[in-house]
Amino acid sequence: MDWMLIAELAVNGVFVGLMYALVSLGMVLIYKTSGIANLAQGAIAMTGGYVAWVLLAGLGAPVWLAIPGALVGMFAFGMLIERVALRRMIGQPVIMTIMLTLGIEIMLRGLLPGVFGASVKRLDIGIPQAPLFVADLLINRATLIGGGISLVLIVASLIFFNSRFGVVMRAVADDQTASWSVGIRVERAIAVAWGLGAVAATAAGILWGSTQGVDWSLSLLLIKALAIAILGGLDSIGGVLIAGVIVGVAESLATGVVDPLVGGGTRDIVAAVIILATLLFKPHGLFGREHIERV
Amino acid sequence: MALLSLNNIEVAYDQVFLAVRGVSIEVPERGLVALLGANGAGKSTVLKSISGLLKPERGAVNRGEITFDGRSILAIDPPDRVRLGIVHVLEGRRVFGHLTPRENLIAAATMHRDRGHVSALIDRMFQTFPRLAERAKAKAGYLSGGEQQMLAIARALMTEPRLLMLDEPSLGLAPFLVDEIFDIIRAINERDGVAVLLVEQNATAALEIAHSGYLIENGRILMGGTADVLRSNPDVADAYLGGHQKVDYHAVKHYRRRKRWLA
Ligand SMILES: Nc1ncnc2c1ncn2[C@@H]1O[C@H](COP(=O)(O)OP(=O)(O)OP(=O)(O)O)[C@@H](O)[C@H]1O
Ligand SMILES: [Mg+2]
Repeated sequence: MDWMLIAELAVNGVFVGLMYALVSLGMVLIYKTSGIANLAQGAIAMTGGYVAWVLLAGLGAPVWLAIPGALVGMFAFGMLIERVALRRMIGQPVIMTIMLTLGIEIMLRGLLPGVFGASVKRLDIGIPQAPLFVADLLINRATLIGGGISLVLIVASLIFFNSRFGVVMRAVADDQTASWSVGIRVERAIAVAWGLGAVAATAAGILWGSTQGVDWSLSLLLIKALAIAILGGLDSIGGVLIAGVIVGVAESLATGVVDPLVGGGTRDIVAAVIILATLLFKPHGLFGREHIERV
Repeated sequence: MALLSLNNIEVAYDQVFLAVRGVSIEVPERGLVALLGANGAGKSTVLKSISGLLKPERGAVNRGEITFDGRSILAIDPPDRVRLGIVHVLEGRRVFGHLTPRENLIAAATMHRDRGHVSALIDRMFQTFPRLAERAKAKAGYLSGGEQQMLAIARALMTEPRLLMLDEPSLGLAPFLVDEIFDIIRAINERDGVAVLLVEQNATAALEIAHSGYLIENGRILMGGTADVLRSNPDVADAYLGGHQKVDYHAVKHYRRRKRWLA
């Protein structure tokens, strides 16, 4: 067993996992506020990647303008989804709302490549692709930077949820009627959560797009995001952070260690195994909030 | 002119089930009014029609008018009614269970922009309800029933209401806690001049602090009057005051006999 190789896989896995976690961060933001698992998160990440590509390559905007532009535009897009689709579902069974988000995912997956062509778009945001050596470990520079940015955004969300507005959003998640009763504008809080969820997805879409190009396959991030969100507990930001690292490292080790033994293909099974195992053995995830049973 | 007046309102759930029919009540400025009735009488429905919280339950006011401070409020959505000064403490307390008591109070302060003002209000709530200050860091879901009721009232007071509506604050509480909470309600009314509309099944406790009251049954107001008049009314005594005190069977029998004789 080559310990250097394993260390290298693990370190790279951590950063990849953080980049996955950024996608699930958006799911958690929305779930924490509205109690809806947003299955359109992968396609929203993909859409964010396309928007950044249109601004950069299509309109020739500089990076410092294109990225904030994409984030702001996608914030509005997230609020729009809530406004025109989700808000109509108030009072409907949760399962129907979740099906609706899945419908949005499928629609966007078909729509954007249809509009812009199916070929992979190169998204160059100025991160050098050359690898980095840290103490003899070969580290992918793009994932290092992407993981770092993801970490910063996740920690910022943790801080946000303890701010005054974040407390209001948690209150909405707890009890919408009680929130109305004390003057909270529930619809607005949920719309903002969708906007922020789309921003997190877009940041992930841009970071992943810059490493692998922008095409429909970016929306497959949904599977990783779902695995992380379920493992982390769907409503725990700290959980997302830790579950993201676990999934990233597990995938990376599966690719580097197990693949050569079984002939490949384990990478994409890891997320599925984690989803199933979590649901079977720890349905609330590692850090899902406990149900408070006393009245 | 009364601070709040309901004029002949009719409320239906799902457009068919008439829960409240032709109810008219008034709450004067600085008044403390009780709304008494048995299970299913329509008390909570009346409060929801005032706070606007019928909509999430697919209920609606079909007829009649509700005015607050002289203006009609039926077209105004719930968060804006709170900003006018109407706040509704829901039946069953409904605190934000995963938030701490302090966070519960913060969440209810969205109408106040000034942070200093919010902290001052929180300090005042912890003074009024010292039990909450002791538990300020626990999750509200783990507080006792009495503490949760206090938190629900404190949370409502964070909105600085002119009218505080309470739906069965005594529900499921030990008698000494009921006394403690009713003393606080009286103090809020007398000291801060907040008008109170108090829904109760526990008529004895409610009529001790209320100035006036109404009796509601099957969605209709049966009678209304000052607390003294209601207390001394034999029907009220029979139907409501008996239920929560030690029932004096001798008196009940005597009353029944007299009623039959009168009929
Ligand atoms: N969401 C709802 N949908 C349909 N009917 C309802 C709904 N809420 C209440 N009702 C009905 O309206 C009537 C009045 O209910 P309401 O809750 O106002 O009574 P209440 O006087 O508050 O009773 P309690 O003392 O049990 O709280 C009842 O017959 C009840 O079944
Ligand atoms: Mg009720």
